[in-house]
Amino acid sequence: MASIVRPSLLRQTTLAARAPGAFYMRTAALHGSSKRSAILPPGPQRIEGGVNDPAPIPTPSAAHGSYHWTFERLIAAGLVPLSIAPFASGSLNPTMDAILCSAVLIHSHIGFQSVIIDYIPKKKYPGLRKLFWWGLNAATLTVGIGLYEFETNDVGVTEAIKRVWKA
Amino acid sequence: MIAQRVGVAALRRGAKPSVFAQLPKVAIAAGIQARPVTTTKLSQDDGHQILVNQRLQRPIAPHLGIYKIEQTWLGHSAWTRITGCTLSGAAYAYFTAYLVAPLLGWHLETASLASAFATLPFAIKGGVKFALGFPFAYHFINGLRHLWFDLGKGFSKPAIKKGEMALWISSILGGLFLAFGL
Amino acid sequence: MAALRPSSRILGLSMRAATRPGAVFTRSMASVSEAPQEKASNMKTFQIYRWNPDTPSEKPKMQSYTIDLNKTGPMILDALVRIKNELDPTLTFRRSCREGICGSCAMNINGQNTLACLCRIPAESSSDVKLYPLPHTYVVKDLVPDLTHFYKQYKSIKPYLQRDTPAPDGKEYRQSKEDRKKLDGLYECILCACCSTSCPSYWWNSEEYLGPAILLQSYRWLADSRDERTAERRANLENSMSLYRCHTILNCTRACPKGLNPGKAIAEIKKQMSLS
Repeated sequence: MASIVRPSLLRQTTLAARAPGAFYMRTAALHGSSKRSAILPPGPQRIEGGVNDPAPIPTPSAAHGSYHWTFERLIAAGLVPLSIAPFASGSLNPTMDAILCSAVLIHSHIGFQSVIIDYIPKKKYPGLRKLFWWGLNAATLTVGIGLYEFETNDVGVTEAIKRVWKA
Repeated sequence: MIAQRVGVAALRRGAKPSVFAQLPKVAIAAGIQARPVTTTKLSQDDGHQILVNQRLQRPIAPHLGIYKIEQTWLGHSAWTRITGCTLSGAAYAYFTAYLVAPLLGWHLETASLASAFATLPFAIKGGVKFALGFPFAYHFINGLRHLWFDLGKGFSKPAIKKGEMALWISSILGGLFLAFGL
Repeated sequence: MAALRPSSRILGLSMRAATRPGAVFTRSMASVSEAPQEKASNMKTFQIYRWNPDTPSEKPKMQSYTIDLNKTGPMILDALVRIKNELDPTLTFRRSCREGICGSCAMNINGQNTLACLCRIPAESSSDVKLYPLPHTYVVKDLVPDLTHFYKQYKSIKPYLQRDTPAPDGKEYRQSKEDRKKLDGLYECILCACCSTSCPSYWWNSEEYLGPAILLQSYRWLADSRDERTAERRANLENSMSLYRCHTILNCTRACPKGLNPGKAIAEIKKQMSLS
């Protein structure tokens, strides 16, 4: 063993002596970051069309584009005064409370939708995407009914939060 | 491999005679390279198929594991999403439960919830309030920041950096206030 | 390997001669009295992502190379070139202009996407330098990512002037100074893909989301007063994926090695789409 190691060791030391800019190389396995984050892996690379073809452009639909974005931003902007008001006035009258609740529901629904769009690509996981999409719709509908029940039978959301918070 | 390396080394030195030197200059000018490997002629489709097969083998470069953590896991966007999902998730869970409560005999109406909450020790009450108050403060403040971004303002690098700091400090303070100050 | 050594030493010497002016300057800044030859060696380890397509079943690994910074130029690219010349000729990376105008050497350096030629070697810190290819790209070899789809997306936004009416004076399409000013901060983009591959949204949806670089380019043509297909360009972004996967994460603005602001450009597109 020693006789095998020696020459290479000798060569390295002489090399190091000749060139003061000594250098070493060693390798280590990558800490598996390519595996760790693979919850929904993107899969192997596939490229549609030739290298000189442009990427396909989806059919325009403002309802999913600018109208959707503007609507979402207006809801978000509207939520600013709506969620400050209860702090200022103690609690809200039933109408304002209902408006706040619907706005929060829509805001939450859009938020969950964009989470699904981001993390479950339609092309690679069409079944899973559909499942989550309709699951979310069902959940939002259920919560909507629950909210209606709560608003009509109970004290109202802002008042309820206040009472529990102060309990 | 070794043969190739010798070839490269000889080429770099350029002085000693080698296989390359013996090649007629015309051949070199015509772009013919002498390599100690055999080649086969492929049609364009076959060549493309090799590329397609090669693509299938390619690994994905590491991303979340190696990117600067303050721009991924600790980034304002990730936390806006986390806090939003926490709040909305809690609300969805509560109102769904409220709807089915009569069927299951649960008591989730405000009065019983408030009296149950009142019996909890101070630390747990504060903890629960902070667990809801901090996400609210964070989501609210960064929501304002996002509305400002959507007007096309506040995009300079120093503004982004300062905004990020201010966001964390104000939302933690805000969460503490909501939990213990009210 | 032994056959390679003499030649690489010759090459290394000429390299050193070439990088001498910069090296001398930094040395004299550090210690004026000391002669450059007597300076102690300043070793630095670079951990570099390696993957070889010839052995695809082998997992990607990190390989460490230690070199003397006193004999190396100041930039990461200088270190890479030196490693390739003197230590390991199989190390593969793209480079061309070495002055931040070609965008070839875009890579992830210590967790941040930037150009290797514009990034200084952090000499004062003792930690290793970690080099990865651009994040969440398919790796061709070592530090070389496949940008085919990125370029296909660039092509899809028709990055050229589209106009039907001829120039009024029959010579050239004129533009006021103010209109020209709108293109500043947009036309400088070199398409190095640093911003796009820093964007988590682009990581998850690169197939359909255009990403910051292409959207900045898209805005460059939307903002051009001479272009007459603005409505068509906007219509091409009217869907949930191409533009609206941007959640203003702002990694793009933080990554751009040219100091541009893709985040702001995207915000301007959204604003324009919303108001028109």
